[in-house]
Parts: sequence; structure tokens; C-alpha cells
Amino acid sequence: MTVEFARGKSYVVDRGKPKTRAGQGMLGGLDVVIRHFFGAFGKKIETQADTTGVFTVQYPEERLELPQAFRNFPILLYDDATGHELCTSCFQCERICPPQVIHMSQATDPATGKAIPAVSEFIIEYDACMSCGLCAEVCPFDAIKMDHEFELATSDHPSMTVDKAGLNRPISYYQAIAPRFWEEAKDSALKKLQGNMKRRSGNIGITPSFIGKAKQAAPAAAKPASAATPAAAAKPATPVAAVGKNMSEEKLARLAAIRAANAGGAPAAVAAPVAASEVDDGAEAAAPVSAAPTRTAPSTGLPFSADNILGGVPANTAMVEDKVERLKSIRSGNLAKGE
Amino acid sequence: MLKTQELQINIGPQHPSTHGVFRLIVTVDGETIIDLKPVFGYLHRNHEQLGEVSTYIQSMPFTDRLDYFNSMANNFGLSIAVEKLAGIEVPQRANYIRVLMAELTRILNHATAVAFMINDMGAWQTPLAYGMREREKILDLFEMASGARMMCNYFRFGGVVRDLPPEFMPQLHDLMRGLPTFFDEFERLLRENEILMLRSEGVGILPKELAASYSVTGPVLRASGIAYDVRKAEPYSVYDELDFDVPIGSVGDVYDRFLIRIEEMRQSYKIVQQVIERLPDTTGGHINPSMANIGKQKALRPPAGDAYGRVETPKGELGFYLVSDGSTRPYRYKVRAPSFINLTPLGDMCRGHKVADVVVILGSIDIVMGEVDR
Repeated sequence: MTVEFARGKSYVVDRGKPKTRAGQGMLGGLDVVIRHFFGAFGKKIETQADTTGVFTVQYPEERLELPQAFRNFPILLYDDATGHELCTSCFQCERICPPQVIHMSQATDPATGKAIPAVSEFIIEYDACMSCGLCAEVCPFDAIKMDHEFELATSDHPSMTVDKAGLNRPISYYQAIAPRFWEEAKDSALKKLQGNMKRRSGNIGITPSFIGKAKQAAPAAAKPASAATPAAAAKPATPVAAVGKNMSEEKLARLAAIRAANAGGAPAAVAAPVAASEVDDGAEAAAPVSAAPTRTAPSTGLPFSADNILGGVPANTAMVEDKVERLKSIRSGNLAKGE
Repeated sequence: MLKTQELQINIGPQHPSTHGVFRLIVTVDGETIIDLKPVFGYLHRNHEQLGEVSTYIQSMPFTDRLDYFNSMANNFGLSIAVEKLAGIEVPQRANYIRVLMAELTRILNHATAVAFMINDMGAWQTPLAYGMREREKILDLFEMASGARMMCNYFRFGGVVRDLPPEFMPQLHDLMRGLPTFFDEFERLLRENEILMLRSEGVGILPKELAASYSVTGPVLRASGIAYDVRKAEPYSVYDELDFDVPIGSVGDVYDRFLIRIEEMRQSYKIVQQVIERLPDTTGGHINPSMANIGKQKALRPPAGDAYGRVETPKGELGFYLVSDGSTRPYRYKVRAPSFINLTPLGDMCRGHKVADVVVILGSIDIVMGEVDR
């Protein structure tokens, strides 16, 4: 009763002939076990072809080499020489993140209130991250990458919500763990960084550990290692808000108000500056989070936005039956906000 | 004749031999099972609802968590469904890489499924260690290609996330040299073992008609004697270009399921060999150029309509039914999980056997609770 297929057939598996069971099958199996048993005193398994030998890796003392593609948790990269972060807070990773654990707020110019391509706070909840790597894949600036560090066990649960200071790693670190991947991304990443550095001022977009030593950092740009990220870094202290230099304070305030109003009308991604986004304190990590992602919540339309989870509001998981209706209401809501 | 009383006992939900959080309400008369009711749902994680509030690509890492032994095969299922829905072409090379991964998954799943079944019979750990050893080697390959051992998230709509790294092929060749030794040894260790035969022959018989009416799939169905394999019945990807046979059983008991799995490993080995031969001559890249940018995957808006994509995972037919309303999120996202459906005839398989056989029969179905409860 076999069936013929296009390429191949079906066949009935041979169950063997009934015979006296005197233990010969067990002895044959025992032979295999004994050979493996003595093999375990011999040499280590070296290639994948070996099936006998010591296979165990004595973990804390001995470690397997991790492949370059290995991914555990996301990290943020910054430039070794200048401390400038590659992240521009484009919100791509926040939107693609399947468990919605990435939260960020865009940096704004303190004088003008305008959005700057830099991130003022960036938080990832490592405890809920599922290490899928989509954030690293989607990042157009190669700012977010997957780390190889996996020994992160801790008894301090809140410490698994990691802020920018905890996420930042120098480019050289990533280059060391994944040279091939960085080689592919290097040129475009550094070129984009240069463009973005021109639009930043003061300490904006500089990693927290570099802020105190901005002056020491400047000459480092001359080093050959950072040849690709030059001159712009040497003068990080461009005058803040040059526009307002000769204006009266009253006029300045009015300008800021107008700008804020204008920014409010823009689409979600480059929307209004958020006041709470200036918080840099790692200890109060949760505080900016509850404020920051509100503006992207409408665009994702998820019932369990970061708002609900972190702000203590119970997540409303009840789904509206008709999704088209829901989409419409979200869109009209967005429109109303814009006006 | 002594009068005995029927007794209801609970196996699980927390029980080492239930392969997860799974409860069995067993009615026994002495040691003989009169009735058995499987109760599941303890591991429910809202997978389908998550799929409906996520974009298509966001569902991809969640499928890894369905049957966490075979994340590559689950990825395959979702990719096939979405590609059908959106009409995305897959380059030849990507297809071969996909088949390679899916067949390696089958080898690793069956190696451990058999080993766990033997473990349930009481052969504590020794065969399991051999099965796990081979699984580790394959997981090393997965890690190299995708970055993770179990939660691979390797497939993308229109291909795979990245091409195989240069060190992948040499290591795969090494693995392929070792695998036949493993199959032979495994069979010598277990196939004629008297204890295994006593525990499995004639135990948990699932007749052909019953298997079909329960819509059981995978090795459990084939062990019952029905030559049904999605790879043959509705060839997807490049399975129609590959030569392989479908082993079927004659009795449909636990022993047949054990033999089928061993044979399927050999057939998968044959497929992987053919893939290795043809991979260098394949055309196209690892992903369809129009979908290579992840932004395209993210903003994917399939035209309104529905599609059912199915693949033969090591456990059986995994199907994804998607309904699109033209937006970035599916209107309906339904998973046909093989473990769940294969588990339903458990009561019929166990009736009349002893309590100790329940554990063996359950082991022979090869379930993963992550997929049963979703």
C-alpha cells in the first residue's frame, strides 16, 4: 500500500521480525553505551563530525566562542573620539519593537525648543526584551546593535530597565565583537553621524560619560582611529541659539512659544518637544518614560502602549471588534490633536 | 471477583512527565485507564491576538515562541502565508537556505523527541544525552546564521534575514559527516531493545480512520499508515525539486512512531545533502531585492484578502491563516498548531492501557506546550 509521489514514494517501515527476546538487543545497546563511556575519558570533541568524546564545556571556566551574529540585548553606540551618539531618535526601533520595550525622547534645543537629531533619553526594559534583533535591523543610523554580553543575572529587578548611560558602548566595542558586521555598516554610519553632529550643539547627543570631559575629547579626534569623524567634533561648543543673541528676553520667549506651537502641528515623529525629556537622571529612569512615548502611542495604536504599562494605568486589552472603525477613530483623533 | 471502585486522579499540571504545564484527568479502575481527559491552556500567551495588533513582521519573533524546539519551521510557516497573501517572490537561493534550515530543524526535533520518549519510559538521560548532543551541534549552526540558538527569527518575507556566514558551510559538512554514525548508533542503542519493545509494541494504537477523523498530522498520522506529508501533498518552496520518500507505519503504535522518526531523520539527511550540492549553483540572493529593506517589511500592506500558508513542521502541519484588510496589521491571524491537534486523540489512545503507559504515549505524540496553548 505504498503511494507514489512526484519525486519519491512512501514506504512501510520495517518493524523487524518477531524473535526470542533473550536480551541481545539490550546487549547491542550496551555496547554503544560502553564505547561512549570510555570515549568520555578520551579526547574532547573537536569538530562537528565527532560523535564520541568529551562534549561538555565546563562553563564558567571554559567558554564557547560566540559567532559574530550572536544577539542578546540591544546597546547604543557612540563615537570613541567625540562621544557623540549615533542615535538620532528617529523612533524606528520604538515602533518595530514587538514587545514595545524601547522608549525614547528626542532632544530639543533648549533655547529654541526645536527638535535636534539626538536622543535625550533612551530606555530599554531588558527584562521584557525578547532579543529578536529587529531594532538593530531597522536602525537606519546603525546606532542600535545587539550585544554579546549574556551574563546579566541580577537580584535587582528595577536595574533591568536600562537608561542611556547603561546602554551606551563605544564603536570600538562593537567593532571588537562583530568586526564583519561593523565593516559593512561603517561607512554609511559614520557619514550620517557627521551630518547629524553639525546639527547638534553643546552637550546634546553626547554620551553621559563624556559630558564632563568634552575638552579632553576634542583633541582625540585627531587620532587616526577616528579619522572618519573629524573636524566637526573639534568644536562641539557652537554658540547655543545664535538666533536669539541680540533679542530681548520677551521677544525670545514669544519666539519659543510660536515655535512650540508650530512643532505641535507637525506629524508625530517630529512632534512637539516634551518638557520631561530633559531628565538625565538614571535613578529616576521610569519618570521620563511615562511622559516620552505618549506622542508615538497614537501611531502604533496598540492597546498596551508603554503608557499603560509604566504609568500604572491598567492595560486595556479589550479589542474593538471592527478594526476599520478603530483605525478611523485613531486617525480623526490624530487630526484633532494636530489642530 | 473483587469489586473495585473507579477513581479519578490528576496528572499535572505541574508534573515532570507532562512536557510542560499540562493536566490529565484520568479515571482509573485499579491500574487500567477507563477515561482520560486532557486539559490545556495553562501556557496561553495570546499569540493570535498579539498577531492581530502587531504588524506582519512583528509577529515573526513571536512565532519562534510557538514550538520553541523548531523556531525555524515556525518562521517558515508565517513567511509562506504572508508571501501568499502579498504575492512576494522568493529567490531560489533563499528557498534553498530555508529548506536547509527546515530540514536541520527536523533532524534536531526528532533526535530529541525520540530521546525524550525513551526518557519517559525510564531510560533516564543516557539516550537523551546522545540526542541532545546532536541537537547542540545543529543549534551551533543556527546561532551562526541567525544569532540565536532557539529563538532564531531568521526568516523574512521574501527570503531570510542574512546570507549564510562563510564559516557555516565547513561546519555543516562536518556535521553531515557525523550524522550517519549518530543515526546508526541511535538505532543500535534502541531499536531492538527488549524493554523498549515491551513498552511500546501494541501500546497507544491510533487506527488509521480515527487518526484521519481527528485530523492528526505529522509523524503520528504517518505512523498510523497514511502517507500524508504537506511537502508532498502541496509542495511549497523547492520541495518539488528534491527527492525524498515518506516513511509510513503499519500498526500505529508507539513503536511505529519511534521508527518513523528515525526514518524521517534519514530522509531529512538526504534532503540536506541535495541542498548542499545545489546551493552554490542557485540564483538570486538571500532575499527578494524588493523586500531587502526592513522598512519594506515593516510597512507591508498586503491587499485585502485571505491566505492559508502551511508547512510540514517536524510535529505536523503548521498552518497560518491570515486575513488582510489592506492595513499593516492582519485582520485575523489564526494558527493551526500540530501539537494541539495531535494531542486531542490522547484519550482514545490511552483507554484500556495502564497508567504508566500514559506517559509513554504522551511522549510519543511529541508535543510542545508552547504550541498547544499558544
